Amino acid sequence: MRVPIRHLARLKCVSKLWYSLISDPDFAELHFHHSPVATNACFFIENEAMVYFIYLDDNDASQKVMSPPFKKKPSHFAVLGSCRGFILSYRDPHFLVVWNLLTGFSKRISYSHIVARLKYYVVRLPYKFHLYGFGYDASQDDYLVVVAWQDKDDHYHLDYLSLRTNSWINLDAALSNLLGSYNWNPPGLFFNGTIHWVPSVLEAYRDVILIFDLKERTFSTLSAPEQPVKSACSYSILAVLGGCLGLYYRNYDSRKTEIWVMKEYKVHSTWTLYQIPCEVFQPVCFYSHGDIIGRVEPMLCIQRVSCHSLATLRTRTRRIRGRKTVCKLFSYAL
Amino acid sequence: MGSPLKKIMLCSSEKEIFSVEEQVMVQHSVIINNMIEDGSYNYEESKIPLDCVDSKTLKKVIDYCTYHTHHHNDNQEDLEAWDAQFLNVDSNGLYDLLMAANYLEIRNLLDLIYRTIKNMIKGKKIDEIRRILNIKDHGFTPEEEEQNRKEYPHFY
Repeated sequence: MRVPIRHLARLKCVSKLWYSLISDPDFAELHFHHSPVATNACFFIENEAMVYFIYLDDNDASQKVMSPPFKKKPSHFAVLGSCRGFILSYRDPHFLVVWNLLTGFSKRISYSHIVARLKYYVVRLPYKFHLYGFGYDASQDDYLVVVAWQDKDDHYHLDYLSLRTNSWINLDAALSNLLGSYNWNPPGLFFNGTIHWVPSVLEAYRDVILIFDLKERTFSTLSAPEQPVKSACSYSILAVLGGCLGLYYRNYDSRKTEIWVMKEYKVHSTWTLYQIPCEVFQPVCFYSHGDIIGRVEPMLCIQRVSCHSLATLRTRTRRIRGRKTVCKLFSYAL
Repeated sequence: MGSPLKKIMLCSSEKEIFSVEEQVMVQHSVIINNMIEDGSYNYEESKIPLDCVDSKTLKKVIDYCTYHTHHHNDNQEDLEAWDAQFLNVDSNGLYDLLMAANYLEIRNLLDLIYRTIKNMIKGKKIDEIRRILNIKDHGFTPEEEEQNRKEYPHFY
């Protein structure tokens, strides 16, 4: 039985024994496995300071507001990847932080040995030439932080940190020559035991999705959907939607958000297009019955779109429980 | 899966013997199912010793398994009403049932008990939860307890 996350803090106060149980890393692991669908939880970051962790149930959503695990508010805070309840975030100056949203556990990782040799020293890392990834290697029961970067002599490097051994390991031998070919969107998406990256601008579609297999520790590629007018689109973002690999972007011409979902992994012909009549829509969750839940920026609200009836809308507002009501759930129906 | 008419013997902590249709227990209890499947149960001689389950609790567990075996086609509402009536016991009784269901690995009974406990403590203040679950020593030092109360005043 899964206890909604918003009750865990209360249960931690009941007794020392419960406190230890809930704070145990194995508990987070179990809690993760017992969650009915891993993809029905999502988080948003506001003002680089607050994290809204949102659980979506069939007809309801609950949220938990959390501050990042920093004593002092960083001037820059960005999420570079997430996996099984953990997020990998960047904070200046040059730290990576692994943070478990379920238990509050956090670990600071220094990568100053890499930063010192970077070609482009910019205050606001992550820079476009880098790939960051965070994922779980089931074969070793280990979490890996992956960083690809370019040094001052224009050489590319690949390093990864194993959380189990807490040590950085260089893996330049596995590098892909694609690394220098595109401007990558740095945060990687963990899906299916591998980390995925996509170029910021999809100028081509063939073999442009870069994949790093955490078990084999090798790169491979995947083709993106063949798209219509590239110039009219914003940068692309990867997401796991309905248990499948998805990719979405804004189409400035049609003023719609286009969402592609690869229904069967690595089968190119199964890329399926969904068009959401909303220019800035961040899909969060696909339900099997066809509804799509997403966030409509710039408001922090969640919108539900029924695929079968995009044109008409009858809105039913649902307030989400929580101390501050910042999220709304809309239903679109015929 | 055993034949429907075969009986097996269960022995409570008071050494009282209960004779139950094999299929009833095999369907519900993972450990009894494993015992029967791996052939370690001898129909002529074996009694399955359940040293940590008293007679009163064992009888209830058998009632639960028997009812759910024979009424699994009933509508959901009727089953839920029966379950609610079944679990209308005091907290010691509920605890004994929980331990027995855990020992015998009766998953649907465990889920039912978990749900019941969840509903008992849902939305309650910390002190009430402690009282309901009979937690006398919460184990926090006075400082830690004070810290918790300060951090989450609305829980208390």
